[in-house]
Amino acid sequence: MKNLTRRPADKIINYKTLSSTNSKAKDLAQKGTDPWTVIVAEKQTGGYGRKKAAWSSPKGGLYFSVILPKSNIDDLQTLTVLAAFICAKTIKENFNLEPFIKLPNDVWINGKKVGGILTENIIGKDVKTSVMGIGLNTNVRKFPKDLENIATSLKIESGKDTDNRKILKQIIKQLREQLKTISE
Amino acid sequence: MQTEIKIGDTVYRIKIEEIGGNTLKVEVNDKEYFFDKNELRQPGFTGFFPENVDLAAKENGVIPREKVEKEIKSPLAGTVSSIAIKVGQEIKAGERVMTLIAMKMENEIVAEGYGKIKEIKVKENQFVDNGDILIILE
Repeated sequence: MKNLTRRPADKIINYKTLSSTNSKAKDLAQKGTDPWTVIVAEKQTGGYGRKKAAWSSPKGGLYFSVILPKSNIDDLQTLTVLAAFICAKTIKENFNLEPFIKLPNDVWINGKKVGGILTENIIGKDVKTSVMGIGLNTNVRKFPKDLENIATSLKIESGKDTDNRKILKQIIKQLREQLKTISE
Repeated sequence: MQTEIKIGDTVYRIKIEEIGGNTLKVEVNDKEYFFDKNELRQPGFTGFFPENVDLAAKENGVIPREKVEKEIKSPLAGTVSSIAIKVGQEIKAGERVMTLIAMKMENEIVAEGYGKIKEIKVKENQFVDNGDILIILE
């Protein structure tokens, strides 16, 4: 008999290059793609953060967006803050590093940015679609001159390589658990 | 769901699917029509068309009239980060009118129906409260 309570597997769609995983996720969400579908790109050519600030996304980093289930706006806000905490916790557990959460949406290590979160909603009278984009500088070996004083990576800080897939799955699992907790 | 209905000598291929949370897409012989699910419960409901449907199709379509909005209110408190429309412009359901940065997120505000912009009540970088009128439509 089919077990109806079993959590469906995360659907992960991989791309070599995207302009932005959030833009792709928004597009798919509007076309009715299932919640918890994850869009991953090996690199982004037009990655952005809040107020459309550019997010450098060379190959090696972990760049993904999650289509979130329909939730009320307060829960989405809480989840966005929790996502920074989840990223910091995941880094701490997998590396011997001490990340710092720069509210609202950034994760820093040793005074430099290592990750960021951008939730984008489309709202009419109610929330129509929500996507959460997360960018983590994991295996980025070097940043351009203009960023090297403000950005860092797990590779630079720990010397270790990151299994992007493993980190991705850990973060998604925790996001699902947290949203379930806060929306009940 | 897909089905065929024969009326007189004409066969209509009909396909209904849910897109997003609140919208139903109904395809009749490859022409697409969109409905707000909340309105289907009301008598005399109205539908809306996607951007790529031309006026002639609208007039000949199965939907008797457009859904017209009088004003667009802010669904949350936040700061206007960009305005995507101009006075005099006609907007359609689902079209982005502005972006609000609020509650640590970027929020694209979209129109729920058709209308022509009469007045934009806010400016970029202005703080707006939940329920404030953003746009007045003709």
